Amino acid sequence: MDNANLSRMWRVFKTTKEMCADRGYSVPEHELNITFDEFKQEYGRDDGDVDRTKMNYSCQPSESMLLKYSDPPTEKNPNPEPQIGTIWVEFNGDDNAGLKHLRDYMHFLNQGNFYSGIMITPKQMTGMALRFLRTSTTIDEGPKGGVEVFVEQDLLVNITKHELVPKHVLLSAEEKKQLLSRYRLRETQLPRIQQSDPVAKYLGLRRGQVVKIIRKSETAGRYASYRWCI
Amino acid sequence: MSPTSILKKPSAPNLPSTDKAVNPRHLEVALHHANIIENQKNVEKEILKAILDLMDFPTDPKADPARPSPADAAAFCNPLNLFQPSDYDSLIEERNLAEHCGYALCPRPRKKARNNARRHLITTENGVQVVEKKALEVWCSDDCARRAMYVKVQLNEEPAWLRRGGVGQKIELMAENQGEHQIALPLRLKGTNAPATEQMSEEDAAWAMRDEALAELAQERGEKPGQLSKANDVLIAAEIKENTDSKTPIAPSAEGMGHSHFAIEGHVPKADLKKEHDSSEEEYEAEDGDEDQEGEDADDDWDIAEMVEDELDAVLQDT
Repeated sequence: MDNANLSRMWRVFKTTKEMCADRGYSVPEHELNITFDEFKQEYGRDDGDVDRTKMNYSCQPSESMLLKYSDPPTEKNPNPEPQIGTIWVEFNGDDNAGLKHLRDYMHFLNQGNFYSGIMITPKQMTGMALRFLRTSTTIDEGPKGGVEVFVEQDLLVNITKHELVPKHVLLSAEEKKQLLSRYRLRETQLPRIQQSDPVAKYLGLRRGQVVKIIRKSETAGRYASYRWCI
Repeated sequence: MSPTSILKKPSAPNLPSTDKAVNPRHLEVALHHANIIENQKNVEKEILKAILDLMDFPTDPKADPARPSPADAAAFCNPLNLFQPSDYDSLIEERNLAEHCGYALCPRPRKKARNNARRHLITTENGVQVVEKKALEVWCSDDCARRAMYVKVQLNEEPAWLRRGGVGQKIELMAENQGEHQIALPLRLKGTNAPATEQMSEEDAAWAMRDEALAELAQERGEKPGQLSKANDVLIAAEIKENTDSKTPIAPSAEGMGHSHFAIEGHVPKADLKKEHDSSEEEYEAEDGDEDQEGEDADDDWDIAEMVEDELDAVLQDT
């Protein structure tokens, strides 16, 4: 039983690491491929259960990610500030996370100067907490990059590894501009993807960003389409 | 190298024109719906803010839920006007997660179940019942549960952004010091008005009451203060006209009512009246009188006999 719980958390932990790597944060190779035994040694408690507080970690964005998230330099602003920073991933052990936990978490992120945060809870948060999360971008509270919340169960498998999920690539602001001018489009004329889409959540898409979706095609080999996140 | 087009270069970027004529009706409809959504968002934000405030309420750890201070009661009741029962449930849930009693005016921690079993046996008036552990740990006592539910049943099921006429009725608390709140609460308009009206004359008080009633009616119609009223808010100002110059009644006399015997329910038919005139003696006399007055002018009335006589006289004179 305890072993099952431990292996469950191991899978969740691995998925979060992969998620951070896919987003562009720099994650060391050995952390990505952590084996169950290593995980058990490091994060297991004496009673065989998992110690969630030890699992929390932070990630630094890689060079390419910093470039991708910064606006193209202009005359006025030759060195634009990248819209990304250190991320803090926290595993919350409380069965029911509510407004209180979320507020404490946001307070902690502000204190630690983290740009954004991911909170992983065993069960779905309360309705009010989710509502608070939706509006928190407009409220002064919380870090600049926002807070994302995942349920452990949703991270048991990495959905992007599934054969039916095509490859999603986030475009930078520069690439987006080129795309729109190439096809003579306005961004509203692009197909759309919801922010609540599982892959959009996995990649942490923000409103207005464009993803390139590369599918296999029997006739053309590869087929690319673009979607605008709303 | 960027791809070059073999097509003719358009003079202007081929973007859809934005300066199409705006159909005012479409604009109106779009604005109407946008306003509804905006309103909903604002209400939701306020509810969220209220829950955040009420989550760690009351601020004084020694506050008594049975006798809340007027300030606490006002801070609790005023935002509740916007709440739906489901929002209230969320408030209770959030308070429980923060280990407080579900009733927002109670500073005590919630009750803990005896052990960690998922279901518990409870002896109630209706015998032994099986209760979920979660339901057991909501309140600090049965009294608080009763007080909280007393508030919940007063909440409006309709979402606040769909309600007409703004703020609904006042939320009442189940408290022992109910009297103190009514004076202290700012929403009690009638209560604050009451002492002032005593000094006014009876008529002024009546007018004040009328104004208040009209304001309430306007609110029921969904009007906002300052807006043009839909109703003609002027009471019908009746002008009372007394019949002062009445004389003493006189009994009806027979004079001038010569034809009263012809009358059918007071109406004298005129056609019959004429015939009767011709046949009556009095009229004959009157006609004779008329002829006398008219004299020689009335040539037409001459009889044929008279004419014959005249002609005979003329013939006799000639001869």
